[in-house]
Amino acid sequence: MDSCFIRVQQESFDTGKEVQALASQRTDIGAVVSFTGYVRDFNEKPEVTALTLEHYPGMTEQALEQIVHDAEERWALKGTRIIHRIGRMEPGDPIVLVVTASAHRQDAFDACNFIMDFLKTRAPFWKKEHTASGDYWVSARTSDTQAAERWENN
Amino acid sequence: MNTLTHLNAKGEARMVDVSEKQTTQRTATATASVEMHASTLDMIIQGGHPKGDVLATARIAGIMAAKRTPELIPLCHPLMLSKVEVDLEADAQLPGVRIRATCKLAGQTGVEMEALTAASVAALTVYDMCKAVDKRMVISNTYVEEKTGGKSGDWSFDNLATDPSQQPQASQSSQPTTSANALNLHFFAELREQLGVDNLQVALDALPNPTLQELVNYLQSQDSKWDTALKSPNLLMAVNQQMAKPTQKLKAGDEVAFFPPVTGG
Repeated sequence: MDSCFIRVQQESFDTGKEVQALASQRTDIGAVVSFTGYVRDFNEKPEVTALTLEHYPGMTEQALEQIVHDAEERWALKGTRIIHRIGRMEPGDPIVLVVTASAHRQDAFDACNFIMDFLKTRAPFWKKEHTASGDYWVSARTSDTQAAERWENN
Repeated sequence: MNTLTHLNAKGEARMVDVSEKQTTQRTATATASVEMHASTLDMIIQGGHPKGDVLATARIAGIMAAKRTPELIPLCHPLMLSKVEVDLEADAQLPGVRIRATCKLAGQTGVEMEALTAASVAALTVYDMCKAVDKRMVISNTYVEEKTGGKSGDWSFDNLATDPSQQPQASQSSQPTTSANALNLHFFAELREQLGVDNLQVALDALPNPTLQELVNYLQSQDSKWDTALKSPNLLMAVNQQMAKPTQKLKAGDEVAFFPPVTGG
């Protein structure tokens, strides 16, 4: 679908501009849902000062395309937009953006949720957090796996 | 093995203490080449250059540079070199000049930095001598060809079996020696840090019946570091950028990636 738009980049992004880019000059879109993830200053350890995001170039884009493709099979989407940042980021920086557009709100809501759940469990990104007490690789959460699994039954 | 000895535990630069290392006879050979227009090379061979004998000057420059290596490379030990030899050869195929520098000493630390410095500065001198007639010269292929002596023993660029930091029949893919009959391995995130390697080539001949599981077994048999790192029940694998199961068959040229569970978003 040509309205699928995926970017893996170091630069920051502006959620408002991205939503507008997807929805402007269109009259068939009735609902746009966006999710923006930010870097927190606490995670497994307190005082996270920065994080570094590594990815698998090539496979990341393919994995995201596949997730969007799966979402398009389940919901009537008019367009999607995914931006994921890589490299070094500090607390408060935006890290990921998923925007979905549809004619009616439920499709956009559910698809956005679905894409984030699978992005977190399927797309090859890894976070390393830098804290006052040292650097460590973030471990995967069971809750994220469970969140993705719940889509398999409905 | 694959750690950076010039960094201390805090990640700060340090000069390695070599006082406990044995004094052995050590040599290292490094090469570099300067590609140029064929007419520039002709001029060097004919000796018609405005600045004089290019190859003789570059040879002396290389020898002098080897002696000054510790002044240029911050954490390099000052060494009493017993021999420095710099050969320059005109190569019509390139076309250009091929440089080979060999340094020798009886000492406690290797001389590859001296050999690399000699080859590099000889190449710079060739450029300097010829830049008036040819600005498009390219300095390339600067690398250590071989080294002998010292704790890690003899080593040669072309003979991967001599390299203790690498697995038999495997080579770091940043090296120009690539085999068509190989698997290209990639390691990411924490696994990459544990193994101290981000990519690697493994010859397909190493695996009689090539599957992903067999590749894992082969890598695990290298040493305890590999065994531990690849033993993790959470290890994920991808072949040609698609998630794959251990039973997946492998063929020459496949891109195989190993990584821990993903944590993006």
